[in-house]
Order: sequence, then structure tokens, then C-alpha cells
Amino acid sequence: MFIIDGIILLLTSNLILTQALGTSTLFIAAESRKKLLGTALTITFFTTAGSAAAYFINNLMTEKFKNLTLLFYTLTIGLLYMIILILLYFTGKEKFRDIRKYVHISAFNCAVMGTLFTVTETAKFYPERNNINDFMLSGLQAGAGFLITAFILTAAYKRLTSSDVPASFRGFPAMLVYLGIISMAVYALK
Amino acid sequence: MNRKNSVFDGLLNDNTVLSSFMVISPIIICGDTLRNAVALIYAFSAITFLSVMFGSFVPQKLPYALKIIIYAVISSLVYIPVRLAAEQFFPDIIPRIGIYFMLLAVNSLITVQTEAKFYRMKRGRMILSLIFYIVGFDTVMLITASVRELLAYGTVYDRIVDADILISGLGKPFGGFIFLGLFCGVYRKIRFMANHLKGAN
Repeated sequence: MFIIDGIILLLTSNLILTQALGTSTLFIAAESRKKLLGTALTITFFTTAGSAAAYFINNLMTEKFKNLTLLFYTLTIGLLYMIILILLYFTGKEKFRDIRKYVHISAFNCAVMGTLFTVTETAKFYPERNNINDFMLSGLQAGAGFLITAFILTAAYKRLTSSDVPASFRGFPAMLVYLGIISMAVYALK
Repeated sequence: MNRKNSVFDGLLNDNTVLSSFMVISPIIICGDTLRNAVALIYAFSAITFLSVMFGSFVPQKLPYALKIIIYAVISSLVYIPVRLAAEQFFPDIIPRIGIYFMLLAVNSLITVQTEAKFYRMKRGRMILSLIFYIVGFDTVMLITASVRELLAYGTVYDRIVDADILISGLGKPFGGFIFLGLFCGVYRKIRFMANHLKGAN
């Protein structure tokens, strides 16, 4: 029961199914299981570490400078992007070549930046959630949500791109309609 | 690639949303009324055009990752005056659009397509091509918002019209996913037919 509750929570607070954040990246990730896992793990790193950084940025920044929030978030993600690439480079050149594509896809996309803004908005509405643990947990939850949605899409990927689907709707259009139906089911769960 | 193709690519053959599958979240979530659409069109057009133009002065010799970060920082800076102006032009719409306004500043057209497409062109052609890519997004946003507003709420630009059937689900995120999927399918069908006709001629 606990596991089912957890899955329902991840689905109803899912950023892709409820806010369409990171949909384009999801389509790239769903192509293969390897790509899916690589992209989801990298996105989870960015959302978790980024959310932690967002907590400090929000608390250090005064209301007067609220228009600079995006700039500071961008600089944070940029810094994480560089750190992860440098770490990968020194881990091994082959590993670097294999993994860097996931980092490039994951760094600046709506799933990551959207998480930072959504976590911040939530903390404004629920001040008791304005602490580092909740920020990081929400970031982790966003990454896990991405992974679940990517799994749901991967399960149907072959069929949605098969020749059974009319050529005009094959691939991306069919995937959007499929995600729409899943999103409708999640909407009903709320 | 001839000049004519390059100029019109972003509008028809390589539409930002329907072909390249980029910047789709604002269309799905906020593209349910024309008022939202107009504000988003303004934000997207201003931020993307200015950011790509300023970004074109970044030295191309820099490493790829560093260039992407610089482009994102430039668009975050461009966002500030665009946001301040939007608060004057659309004071009641900005809170409704919420985080999607900010997310337009880190859209894939700026962070990815600049390197893959725009900065490989000469400046004059780049400007023309960029304008048509922006117009391509704006057109999809306008069509999506008009149809969804009419069918979901029975209004056009907040004015009530005589609509017999309302499908309220079209105003919800899942309605946005389904509508965009169908729209993309119809767009492809039209493209296939146009190419077929061209081939026959």
C-alpha cells in the first residue's frame, strides 16, 4: 500500500504530466532504456543539486532583486554543468564521451529550470516547506517523476513509432496524444 | 540550401513546435486563451530574437558547454527588461503565465538551435531565418490558443461567442497534449500531401 501511495504521489506531482515540463527531453530519453536511465539520472542530479542551490539563492536575495532570480538560477545550473563535465573528464575520457551527451541534453531544459521555479513557488505557498530538506526532496521527486514518465513512454515507444500507426501520426504526434491520455488519468487521480 | 528554403524553413518545413518539437510546454499549459497567447508571443519573440542576436557575438572558438552557458546567461539578462515591459503591457496576464514566462528565456531555440543552425549562417540570412522560426512558433501558439479557447470556454479573446458544444477538457493540460498531438498530425498530413503534389507536378 505504501509503495502504491508513493507511486500515486509521484504521478500526481509529476512535472511532465501536470505541467508539461521537460516533454521534449522526455521524447529523446524514451528512445532506448540506456538513454532513458542516463538522462533521468542526470536530470535528477541537476534538479536535486539545483533545488538545494535555489534554497540558498531565495533566502539570500531580497525582494528588490527578484527579477534577477532567473539569472542566478541559470548561473547555478551553468556551474553544475561545468562541474559535472570536468568531473567526468577526469574520471576517464571514454566515460566522458559516453555520458557527456546526457549532460548536454539535461542541463538547460524546462524540467530542470521548471523544478527550481516550482519548488520556490511551493515554498511561498507553504512556508513550513521552506527548508533545505524539502527543497532537495522536491528536486529528487521531480527526477523520479521524470524517470517514471519516461518508463511509461518507453513501454509504448515501439508501438507508437511502428508502421501500424498512420504515417502522419507516427512518432511525436502519437506520443503527445498518449501522454495526454496518461495525463488525463493522473488528473482524475487528483 | 537555397535562400528561399532557408528563409521559410522555420515557418513550414522545420517549424519550431510541430517539426522540431521544441518549446511545447508553454503551448500545452498556457496556450488555452488568446490573451495568454499574445503575452507569450511577445515574450518569446523579444527574448529569442534579442538573445540570438547578442549571442552571435560570442566567439565560436569557445568550448561548446561554455557557449551554451553564455547563451543562457545572455537570455536571462534579456529577460529582465522584457519582463519589466510585460508588467506594463500585460499586468493581469503575467501572474497567470507564471513560471512559463521565465522558462521561455532558456528555450531550446536559444540554447541548442543557435549552435546547430543559426550561427552557421551569414548574419543577414541568420536574421531572416530566425524571424521565420519565431513566426513559426507564434503561428502555432495563435492557432492553438484560438481553437482551445473557443472550444473549451466558448470565448474568443474573452468575448463570449455562440458556441453550441464546449469541451472543457481542452483547457486542461491533458487537453493541450491531445490537441497539440492532433494538430501535429494534421500538419504532417498537409505537408505529405503538398510534397506529393509537388512530386506529381
